[in-house]
Amino acid sequence: MIAFIQPGFWVFVLAMAGIYGIFSLGLQVQYGVGGILNFGHVGTMALSSYTMAILVISYGVNFWIASLCGVAVAALGGAFLGLTTLRLSGDYFSIVSIAFSEIVRYVIFNSDGFTGGSQGSLNIPAKVEGDYPTYTNTWEPFIGWVKDRLAVIFGDNADRDMAMALIVWITLGILLIIVGRIERMPWARVLRATREDDDVPAALGKNVFQFRLQAVILGSVIGGIAGIYWALQFSLLSPDDFLTIVTFYGWMILILSGAPKVKGLPIAAIFFGFLYGGTRFFTFWPFSILDSSQRAYIRIMIIGLVLIFLMLKRPQGLFGKREEMVLE
Amino acid sequence: MSNNLILEVRDIKVHFGGVKAVDGATMSVERGSVTSVIGPNGAGKTTLFNLISGAIASDSGTVTFNGEEIQNLHPHQIAHRGMIRTFQGAKVIKRLSVVENVMLGGQKNPGERLSGFFNPRARSRYESESRERAMSLLKQVGIDRFAEDYAGILSGGQRKLLDLARSLMAQPTMLLLDEPFAGVNPTLVEKLLEVLNSLRQAHQLSFLLVEHDLETVMNISDRVVVMAEGKVIADGLPNSIYDNELVIDAYLGTRKKKS
Repeated sequence: MIAFIQPGFWVFVLAMAGIYGIFSLGLQVQYGVGGILNFGHVGTMALSSYTMAILVISYGVNFWIASLCGVAVAALGGAFLGLTTLRLSGDYFSIVSIAFSEIVRYVIFNSDGFTGGSQGSLNIPAKVEGDYPTYTNTWEPFIGWVKDRLAVIFGDNADRDMAMALIVWITLGILLIIVGRIERMPWARVLRATREDDDVPAALGKNVFQFRLQAVILGSVIGGIAGIYWALQFSLLSPDDFLTIVTFYGWMILILSGAPKVKGLPIAAIFFGFLYGGTRFFTFWPFSILDSSQRAYIRIMIIGLVLIFLMLKRPQGLFGKREEMVLE
Repeated sequence: MSNNLILEVRDIKVHFGGVKAVDGATMSVERGSVTSVIGPNGAGKTTLFNLISGAIASDSGTVTFNGEEIQNLHPHQIAHRGMIRTFQGAKVIKRLSVVENVMLGGQKNPGERLSGFFNPRARSRYESESRERAMSLLKQVGIDRFAEDYAGILSGGQRKLLDLARSLMAQPTMLLLDEPFAGVNPTLVEKLLEVLNSLRQAHQLSFLLVEHDLETVMNISDRVVVMAEGKVIADGLPNSIYDNELVIDAYLGTRKKKS
């Protein structure tokens, strides 16, 4: 109960909300514009974070370069997913996309000598034997530097999480501006058309497959960026961080915000983050009747209830346009 | 064959399961002419259309457009070569505005490439020109007052006009119109005919139309191709088709012979 009133905890939640926001923005590009239902988005996050971690720990690659490589591998993963399955019609793509993220996770889980397997990044073989396998050696001094700058304003309240939250939200802000611009381009107009119909854009000379593939790759790049922050936020990676449920957390944010436009996304991300973090503290009556493992499920149920209520009252999301939903 | 043919279809075939939807159709369209394909329900008219425009792949036969064989190309590649089609019942993108629907028809739009992100000037220049042209096309077909509304609010007939305007936006050399007059009231048919005629004179456009019956296309067609059961059963001037016994049989009296 104490943590509930500590600002530090909420700053942590804010940082997580930002990472989920970035993650969800990747889905927004795919679904909000192109109508592509990707249920395997978490796979791109797993690819980028593990690629970065392995390059740094096993090969001693510079962290920044390794991060770029991680995002590039996420993009390649998205390209692979798209090239192999986008020719399937909508529903089938969604099913296969779940398989994609699960395959990524199982490969990570079972490649002990390479990814650390079930023990996570702590078990990734270090370049120099006996070294502690960490990928944050470059990042921590950087974030410490940011923290020191923040200390000028916030004094003792400034901590690592606050620095992280700041960096994550600046990143999300930049990405929102870029993606918002892209979505005002004719490129997005073609994708919006493909969301309703393949034949019309094709008959007008648009290569529908190529547009969809680009949307999936762009979304995967953004998911890859989220993956790097995810890895840094926890300092450790485990295959269990990349369960399919994480993809659906991203979807929750997208549904809350209203898929077609990006502007509601940061608020929806904060809303989700605080709902998710806040329900952790439902330790008072009547929830106190249940033990902590049961309460963990109550938490998910309450999030579900809030979502259902919102969908009944505002099916277009917090910021969506209702007119778009009722057109025949 | 001669250069005067913009489109040549030779012995094209496709089957769906056991059904021979198009069974060896051969026909051609002269440059700058209006050719109509008519036939009863299930004759294979729309399938022929889909074969020509690349929407479905043929089993055998060739389609030559402007001297190039196109039967193995994708629909968007065929569109790039200047052949644009409309759809039966007119498909519009409901959640785009009417003017955006038309702008979708623009070709070689730099903003439609992701790399166009880095060239905002070229992008916006193209975009404003494109909007202007789209508006004038909408005016031409008479639905410019709906320009900023969602296309989903348009009536069936207005959707056909929008489909036509959008196709013209692509600056085609040949237009394939699938039942452009079906379910459209007579005043609107007049309007459509007027637009088609002016286009034909102004741009040397070639047309291939699909329609149900001869009356509708009688006056605008230079040539009529009649299909039944996947085959071309008659091909000639509209008047000659009128008296063709095979055609009358195919329709089984749905059209009364006027004499």
